[in-house]
This record gives sequence, C-alpha cells and structure tokens, in this order.
Amino acid sequence: MDTTDTNKALAQVLARLDAIDARLDQIVDRQKKSDELFSEMTPILRDVMGTATTRLDELDKKGYFAFGREALGVADRVITGFAPEDVRQLGDAVVGILQTVRALTQPNVLEIASQASEVLEKSDQAEPLGLLGMVRATRDDDVQKGMAVMMDVMRHVGRAARAVRDEHRPSAADEKKAKLAGVLGPRKKKALGVERQLPPTVAPRAAAPANLGPPAACAVPSSKPREVAAVIDGVAFGADGHLVDPKVWTEEIAVKVAAVQGVELDESRWAVVRFARADFVATNVSPNIRRITQGTSLATKDIYTLFPKAPARTIARIAGIPKPAGCI
Amino acid sequence: METANNKRKVAIICSHGGLDEVYPALILGNAARQSGIDAFVFFTFWGLDAITTSKVDHLHVNLAGNAASGMPTILGGLPGMETLAASMMKKQMTELDLPTVKEMLQILDESGAELYACELAMKMFKRTREDLLPQVKDVITAGDFYDLAEGAQIIFT
Repeated sequence: MDTTDTNKALAQVLARLDAIDARLDQIVDRQKKSDELFSEMTPILRDVMGTATTRLDELDKKGYFAFGREALGVADRVITGFAPEDVRQLGDAVVGILQTVRALTQPNVLEIASQASEVLEKSDQAEPLGLLGMVRATRDDDVQKGMAVMMDVMRHVGRAARAVRDEHRPSAADEKKAKLAGVLGPRKKKALGVERQLPPTVAPRAAAPANLGPPAACAVPSSKPREVAAVIDGVAFGADGHLVDPKVWTEEIAVKVAAVQGVELDESRWAVVRFARADFVATNVSPNIRRITQGTSLATKDIYTLFPKAPARTIARIAGIPKPAGCI
Repeated sequence: METANNKRKVAIICSHGGLDEVYPALILGNAARQSGIDAFVFFTFWGLDAITTSKVDHLHVNLAGNAASGMPTILGGLPGMETLAASMMKKQMTELDLPTVKEMLQILDESGAELYACELAMKMFKRTREDLLPQVKDVITAGDFYDLAEGAQIIFT
C-alpha cells in the first residue's frame, strides 16, 4: 500500500466522521427542541387536563351522564318494545307527525301554550272552586272563549274518531248481508228458548289461602265481649252457636259441630272449612261467602250446595271462628 | 238462628232503578239467603232497569229531590250530575269490595234467590224476555207475585 492510497482512505474516514458529526448535531438539536417543547407544553397540558376534569365533573354533577345512561336505557326499551313492523308504520306516519309538530309550534300556538303553562306553574296558589264557582266563572268572557275553543277541539276529536271508525267499517259484502237481513226481518228466536247460562260447577280445590288482599272494609271483626251460653264436652259456645275462643278449636270439635249443623264433613267441605280457618288466623276476620269463593275458586252456587243453609255462618261455626260480619 | 229461619221467606219488591235504590233490595235478598231465609226479588217499573242487560251497568244515583245527597236539587238536575254521582258511588263501592249490580244478581241467583220481572212493566217499557239478564227466572203478574209470596214477609224498596 502506498501513501496516496492511505491518504485517500483517511480522507474518506474523515468525511464519514464529518457526516456523523453533522447528524449528531441534528439529533442533539432535535432533542433540545423537543425538550423545550415539553417544558413549554407541560403547564399548558396540566391546565387543559385540569379544566377537562373539572368540566367532566361539572357535567357529571349536572347529571349529563346519568341522563345519558337513562337515555340509553330508554333507547333500549324503545328498541325492545317495538317490532320492525311498528317502526315501518311510524315511518308512514312521519309526515303526519311532522305536520302536527309544525302546527303545534306555530308562534301563536306556542304563545297560548306558554300562557297556559304559566297558570299551571302557579296552580298551587289557585283557589278551590266548587260547582257554584264554576257556574259563576262561566260568566267571564275569557272563560267563555276558552270553553268555545275546548268545545271546538272536542268536536274535531269526535269527528276524527268517527273518521277512524269509518275506516274500519265492515266490507261491502257485510253491508249487503245486513241490508238483506233488514229486508227479511230478524231471524226468529226460538220461543222462550233462552237457555239459562250458569257458571260451570268447579270441582272443589284444595283450600290454600290464595293471594287474597285484606278483607273488605265492610267486614269488621266483632269486638263485643263474648259470653258463654253453653259448655258442651268442656268446650264453651256463645249464644250464636260459635266457639267463644277460636283457639280451642280441634278437628274433633269441627266434626261434632258439623253433625249438629246437619252437614257431613267430606273432603270438599273440609277444604272450605280449612280455608275459612286459615283466613281467620291470617286476618282475624271471619270470611264471608264472597271471600270464600275468591279464596277457594268455588262458585257461590257450590258453596250453597255444600252448605245449603246459611253457608258462611255454618262454615264459621264448624271452623270454630266468630260469626262473619258485613252485608255481602 | 237458622232453625227459626227455616220457615222464613221474604219477598222483596224493587220498584226504582237508581243505584241507591237497587242495592238495598239486592243486599237484603243476599243477606236473607246467607241467613238461610228463602228470598225472591220482584222487579217492577224502573226497577226493571236493574235486570235489563243494556241498562244494568249504567244505573244512576237519584239526586233530584234527594235531601240526603247534600246537593241542591236544582244542581242535581243538571245534565251529567247523576252520572258523576253514580261514578263516585261506584268508586266507593269498589273500595269496599262490593260486587257490581250485575255480580250481585248473579250471586243472588247462585245462592238460590229467585228473580222475577213484572209483566205489566215489561209491556209499558216495551221490553222482551231477551232484553233481560239470564238470571231472571220468569216474567210474572201481580197475582203471581202474591201466590209466590204466600207466607213471606214483603219488603218494598
């Protein structure tokens, strides 16, 4: 290798180093710039973040998010509650809806509505108005005008309702048939042949105190102190033939009382008696016939079939509970 | 006591069609059956409305001339007032779990009380058997009524 070659190689190396140096300068410079940028940006960013947080907090406080969540729920309900068919119909009705909205948002309409709503706002201060007051108020010109408007609105609503009904009128064929029937006269009904429709007799169901509400307000428990009229086999009965103390009741007593009442306690009668007993224990009121029918799914007729004479009282006696009060 | 009631029988005449006039008749009839007393109700004149299918659900309360209603007679005569009073009364009855007139009639029928319509009143009001509720047992005359009411106590409402 000679010197010229060496020099050439050195010059190349130097040139490379220069290039590297220049790149380094560039990198350092960029680094410096981005450092500056960050140091400048940090306070601004901090500021921005702070403001954003407080803003979001404010929004939350104002209930925007809660509103949004609710709105999503509403949207969900709307979507699940409506079938595509409904939406299609809505589409057909959109023109009508828009027209209605336009009519409702005319300035004069809005003016009236806002006036009316002002009154509603102050409704807590309104004086109560009796019938006479109402009659007196009709002398007022404005009230008369308002009534005329209401009447007109009602007239239009009625007319529209009629139009809607007419749309669903029976077909021409049905009308023809009706016309024909009109000419021929009504079909003769079979003389005296009105079949009496009695509710089907329901088989007695096991008497479970169904989900009945509290007894009717008219059935009040008797609070009179009860006197012992007779003691039979160690059990005290009142003058009305009911147990003086419902708590001493046993099934043996029930069988004996039923025998005196002329009733044989079979399974269906037991079901009724057990229901009456359970209902009394739950409510402290002896059930009347209506309540027994509601609680046992027996018809009134069935109750009278099972206990022909004074059913509610007979049942109460057998069940060892007081005489049912109330008129029904 | 039922033993004493065994032979008792009541004949109730319902001659008015107001809600407040029909209920007493029906409640008395029902109470009689519940006490083991035989009962039948005879519907005549406006009382026919209570057993007429198209009218039974639209009985009103009499306001005009009703001193207990608390409303001046002149106002009670205003159109719509009786409907209003009737709806108020019905609301209260619902709260007390009182059956409607229609239900009461069905309960009466099922409990073995018999319901009759007056023949003369039917002719006067131009009603036919088909206009009446299915629970009505028969259309009878005043004479028939007395035959049925033999040995019964008669209650006029």
